[in-house]
Amino acid sequence: MLISKTAPRKTLFWKIARHLAAIVAIVLLGGLLSATLVRLAPGFDSDERELDPGLSAESVRALRQSRAGEHNILRYYSGYLRAAWHGDLGTSHALGQPVQSLLRERWPVTLRVAGVGLLLAWLLALLLAFTACLWRVPVYEMMGITLSGAFLCIPAAVLALLSVILNAPGYLAIALIVFPKIYRYSRSLLAKAYELPHITAARARGLGEMRVLARHVLPVAGPQMIALAGVTVSIALGASIPIEALCGLPGIGQLAWQAALSRDLPLLVNLTVLVTLVTLLANSGADVMNYVLQPRDV
Amino acid sequence: MNMNKSVRRAFLQLLVCFFLLAAFAFAQNGGELRFCLRSEPKTFDPALVDDDASVAIRYLTGGVLVRANRKTQDLEPELAESWSVSKDSKQITFKLRHGILFSDGSPFSAEDVAFTMQRLMDPALHSSTGDAFRSGSGTVSTKIIAPDQIAITFPAPLAGLEHLFDQVAIMSAHSPKKEGAVLGPFMVAEYKAGSSVLLKRNPNYWKKDAAGRRLPYLDSVRLDIQPNRDVEMLRFKRGELDLINSVDSDYFDRLAASSPQLVHDAGASLDYEFLWFNQVASAPIPEYKRAWFRSVNFRRAISQAVNRDDLSRIVFNGHAQPAVGPVSPANKFWFNSKLKAEAYRPDAALKRLQDDGFHLQNGTLFDKAGNAVEFSIVTNAGSKPRERMAVMIQEDLGKLGIKVNVVTLDFPSLIERISQKFNYEAAMLGFRNVELDPNSQMTIWLSSGDNHAWNPQQKSPETAWEAEIDRLMRAQASTADPKKRKESFDRVQEIAAEQAPLIYLINQNALSAVSNAVAGANPVILNPQTFWNAERLTVNSQARASR
Repeated sequence: MLISKTAPRKTLFWKIARHLAAIVAIVLLGGLLSATLVRLAPGFDSDERELDPGLSAESVRALRQSRAGEHNILRYYSGYLRAAWHGDLGTSHALGQPVQSLLRERWPVTLRVAGVGLLLAWLLALLLAFTACLWRVPVYEMMGITLSGAFLCIPAAVLALLSVILNAPGYLAIALIVFPKIYRYSRSLLAKAYELPHITAARARGLGEMRVLARHVLPVAGPQMIALAGVTVSIALGASIPIEALCGLPGIGQLAWQAALSRDLPLLVNLTVLVTLVTLLANSGADVMNYVLQPRDV
Repeated sequence: MNMNKSVRRAFLQLLVCFFLLAAFAFAQNGGELRFCLRSEPKTFDPALVDDDASVAIRYLTGGVLVRANRKTQDLEPELAESWSVSKDSKQITFKLRHGILFSDGSPFSAEDVAFTMQRLMDPALHSSTGDAFRSGSGTVSTKIIAPDQIAITFPAPLAGLEHLFDQVAIMSAHSPKKEGAVLGPFMVAEYKAGSSVLLKRNPNYWKKDAAGRRLPYLDSVRLDIQPNRDVEMLRFKRGELDLINSVDSDYFDRLAASSPQLVHDAGASLDYEFLWFNQVASAPIPEYKRAWFRSVNFRRAISQAVNRDDLSRIVFNGHAQPAVGPVSPANKFWFNSKLKAEAYRPDAALKRLQDDGFHLQNGTLFDKAGNAVEFSIVTNAGSKPRERMAVMIQEDLGKLGIKVNVVTLDFPSLIERISQKFNYEAAMLGFRNVELDPNSQMTIWLSSGDNHAWNPQQKSPETAWEAEIDRLMRAQASTADPKKRKESFDRVQEIAAEQAPLIYLINQNALSAVSNAVAGANPVILNPQTFWNAERLTVNSQARASR
């Protein structure tokens, strides 16, 4: 059997193009769905300032009028897309600042917190999963399962509060939220791979454990782990909302929390678009990488 | 001998230098005060301020012509040496201090006051600070009499005019830094969105203390943005924060148990919790319920059936007083001392209801048409005291055979229901009263007002007593005579007590926590309770570290 090291370029190009087209379509649809949901949410049209007795009737009317353009959601969304095309993402109602500058200020915080959290989660999960498969000590395996099960049961908000109480960094809470999912899935993938006949044969032939892992186990489990990597990006982003909100981290998650509470349509639409884009890029990236690394006949 | 003299002289010189250096170090090293803002400041532009966080920053950075002393409640001169109000209450003339500089070094003059007023009154700005000055149709004019003297004329009489300038932070007419140039004790040095605001001492601040030392003592103020009160308290206990401006009663007692020297109960605040019934004619509620809610006997009966002492004792652990009316006893001038809080009298409440045709049958109250008395109270989710009060009111009214359903909603949903769709039966909220003068409550009392909670935006008053309140509120707003104003507003308070359109529940005490690292703190009931004298506070960082 002949194996080609690289995927055919033309097929790869079309695969990437298909992914990009799907991403654009889903992001556009996601933005519209988000706008529609916010528009339908109770209290969409209200503003806390309406209760300020210091505001005159004219100011209250002006306040209400300022959101009149958001009543027809299709008109709002088409206007939003036109403005976004020219680089204007609108202005946040709740914070009174351009959405673009808010995202620019907040995105690096989330990138750092979720990124470090993901990295830690993967390192911890893979370390435990690999050693569990290599050593095959029941007590050790039980420990890994119990530990991951415990963190799986604890809600993200509780982990966030614990990290506040213990003065622990926010990325640790994200790592502990993502870790059990990676550990359980990769442990199961590795265990199945180790049970394959050719790996048993390789071990019987006296091949070293590291060589078995690198040459035989990883090529089997790798593609699904890469797919899992894409999924964990969206898990980490989702977890960053309660973590950032409770730990007082000024990232995208905290912004999303504030935007949802204040029905901040421009901010919520942009955040949905951004998070959808990152999630889809991560998943598509994993898919393309799998395709590139996939062994195939020539 | 000569040698001794020169040694002594050198020693004395050294000693003087040492004391000078020590005095300089003390003057320049007041430390950094740290506390939390509970939301992101929406603006640093003092003209556009309308949220608590921005108000706090404006208080610390803005220079005002006059300031209400938060302890004595008296108006004191600040950037204005003196002022005079015309007899018709349409004009105020300020005499300004000399030699004052903005934080960027630009000089302060009457031009800046004129610029600030013109900007505030810009109809396109919709500034709540500016709206307070809108006494009638027409424009506000400013006349610079001299570089240190300015007259501001309003189209209609404006009672309590001088008090409104407590909220007006003067902006520079010429500085390229715009709102970055300030006249207050501190200036914004750094803003990390979603995280913190750092204020540094204004090197050009004009005030000095009795010893001639330049104020403020503090080098900086760090305001961390932290909406979560649990986290705020945790950080205070850890010594990361120096004060908490408004502490919930539960936290207060817990902190008092471990560190009684850190907590301060300044007594009843100006804020009140209240309940009201929906009387809007177009509201989507059954007609028979609207009839109950429009009946004064029904409203007074509900008021009499609520045990306010229990609310204070159980919900606020005793750190609250039964509310008398729209003015707290803490508001020394405007409170009508003839009025008393509605006493808990369930028997009298039942009697009132029976007078209106209600009757008890098998433990359930029915109206004269046979409808069981049941209504819902909507309030905002996330406020534990308010939710607990609603449950206690539910129990109190249950004793009269009234079934109350408590519905908690998030704030935007609640606002939509009570101010746009009017889709509610009864609502419970709190009112944060930052102003002493009743003019700040005009939109609550006028029947045409947007905040006339029980029946807003009436084209003409629907009841005689509302017409009377309209007349009294307009009368007090159009005279400069404090005695006449007080008489009018006393009567408004009496009508409010007789008619009970708003059922006042409690005035929560002004509770705060101040670290023992802070020197000079003197918590009061008026906002900002703990840092109203920020320019005279100092923080000992060593004491903070040792906590």
